[in-house]
Amino acid sequence: MTNLTDTVVEIDEAKAADVVIGKGRIIFRRFMRNKTAVTGLAVFLALFAFSLFGGFLTSWDKDTIDPLNIGMGPSPEHLLGTSQAGIDLLALVVEGTRVSILIGLIVGGLSVLISAIYGCTMAFFGGKVDSVMLFILEALIMMPAILVVAVATSGGGQSLKELPSWLLLTAVLLFFSWMGTARLVRSLAMSLMQRDYVKAAKYMGVPSMTIVRRHLVPNIGSLLVLDFTRGITGAILAEVAFSYIGIGIKLPDVSLGVLIGGATGQVSSFPWMFWVPLTVMFLLTGSLAMMNDGLRDAFDPSSTSIGRARTTKTLNAKKKNK
Amino acid sequence: MLRYLGKRALTYLVMIFLTTTAGYFLAVSSLKPALLEQEKIPRPTPEQVANSLRLLGLDPNLSPWERYVQWLGGIVTRWDWGRSPNGAYVNAEFADRVMISTRLFIASIILTLIIGVALGVYSAARQYKFQDRAITSYSYLVYILPAPIAYFLVQLGAIGINDAVGERIFFVTGISTPGIEPGWPAFVDLMAHYAVPTFAMTVFGWAGYQIAQRQYLLDNVNADFVRTARAKGLTRYQAITRHALRVSFIPVAQTIAFAVPAIFTGGFFAETIFAWPGAGLWSIDAIGKQDVNVATAMLAYGSVIFAIGAILADFATTLVDPRVRVQ
Repeated sequence: MTNLTDTVVEIDEAKAADVVIGKGRIIFRRFMRNKTAVTGLAVFLALFAFSLFGGFLTSWDKDTIDPLNIGMGPSPEHLLGTSQAGIDLLALVVEGTRVSILIGLIVGGLSVLISAIYGCTMAFFGGKVDSVMLFILEALIMMPAILVVAVATSGGGQSLKELPSWLLLTAVLLFFSWMGTARLVRSLAMSLMQRDYVKAAKYMGVPSMTIVRRHLVPNIGSLLVLDFTRGITGAILAEVAFSYIGIGIKLPDVSLGVLIGGATGQVSSFPWMFWVPLTVMFLLTGSLAMMNDGLRDAFDPSSTSIGRARTTKTLNAKKKNK
Repeated sequence: MLRYLGKRALTYLVMIFLTTTAGYFLAVSSLKPALLEQEKIPRPTPEQVANSLRLLGLDPNLSPWERYVQWLGGIVTRWDWGRSPNGAYVNAEFADRVMISTRLFIASIILTLIIGVALGVYSAARQYKFQDRAITSYSYLVYILPAPIAYFLVQLGAIGINDAVGERIFFVTGISTPGIEPGWPAFVDLMAHYAVPTFAMTVFGWAGYQIAQRQYLLDNVNADFVRTARAKGLTRYQAITRHALRVSFIPVAQTIAFAVPAIFTGGFFAETIFAWPGAGLWSIDAIGKQDVNVATAMLAYGSVIFAIGAILADFATTLVDPRVRVQ
């Protein structure tokens, strides 16, 4: 062992000109080089800040009715106009954006976590555990999620009514969002389990959880990061779609879907009520899609779609030599 | 082959039974038709409500387990999926609703598949050229647009055309005009009702197939066996259609086999936006009216269709891929 490390150190010193960059930094640099992705990130962060601090742009809040300005277009008093009930649209959009981003982050983040744990567990234990867990997973994929969303959110029963409707929708979306990734993680992790270094770790007596943490998770990390951004987009789109047709989030809770859906009836007489939240939703999902695209290219070492760094010439030469 | 099919079918039957059971318990504990009945005028007493619901087999005073046993017994012994709070039989209405959904979806699903796969091949063959960029960007744009809003925008467009022309060419909701005389006027009326939903579902439906087919084909265009084909003297077009396309079609065939049974379930979003009284709109409406039996029946039906799709997908793979054999 000592001999090995010695030689490695020697090589490093000999090639001191070649700076070794960590994997994370490479990915970060590749991402930052992609103009589309950086624009997406900037727009997303701007919307996030808007959802947190946008309330300071107006002196009205989402519960106060302005009886002098009912259903008025944009004006200095109300920057984005008012609703048919006389509520300031800017305050509503701020609140709706916050709810939508919150749903996206919770569903995207937790579903990645669940699918990673579930998929790795299936691959690691295999056999009976694997087949039982796969059975549960496929049974869940089979259920039409939209019906369960409708049942859960339009029920008149007491047990579910105590939660606010956005939290209920988040829970149901989360429940039906992790299966696809879990199956992907399982197949990836299964092929990793056959690799020599995992076998070696097993025979050396490394604890199971350490193998999962050290060898399995880093190797499926890029998939999980991509799935996180995709999951956020998916949850935001699902919320908008469900709330739009009247299941999902319901008044008095506000979200982008509720605002868009509520405005479709009078789109010709109150156009700002429809187009403003729709634009915000487009900016939100569009920026996430741009980020997702950039991340995928940053993680993929063979992708050439985002230009090259100055040092790649030497790297390419090395590749050819191999 | 038959043994494999039997095994798969048995597993799916157990799964469908479990999902339906779970769905029933969720529905029965969350949907309370008695609350809606009390909004009637004149307002019935709680006893009257309980009595009328009990006659329909929806007794709210029984525990969920007792109701489950009663409901399951009806299905097993009489194939009776229960009744709605308004007295309608689920069995009787079900077939009509599925037929209505099928009539709407059959054209658009076939169009979606053909256009999607064709555009996928076309854009892959012209990778990074203008046509590819336009087609693929459009598909990504569709991806960030929720289906119901996309359909609504198409409706707005159709209304705009109607206004511009000055007469009603397209109907944006509904299935037919009542009292239309049969023959040519009925046919025109039918087309006017079908055009907008079919157009909307096709235009916003092919994106997934286009991106998938393009990706799979690009994965194979530079493969060794395609290069060999070129080296043997085939043109690029021949090499792609005879060699690359065949391999890249395998995963797409699987997706198509999965999508075909969906013709019979219809779509919840499209039917809601276009006010098309098929199975999707029926179940969403029924759930709004706190109808346990319709919700569960549709849940079971959706699971059955999924299972059929999954089994078909397996067969499609064995059909197009000679390397795969069913045990």
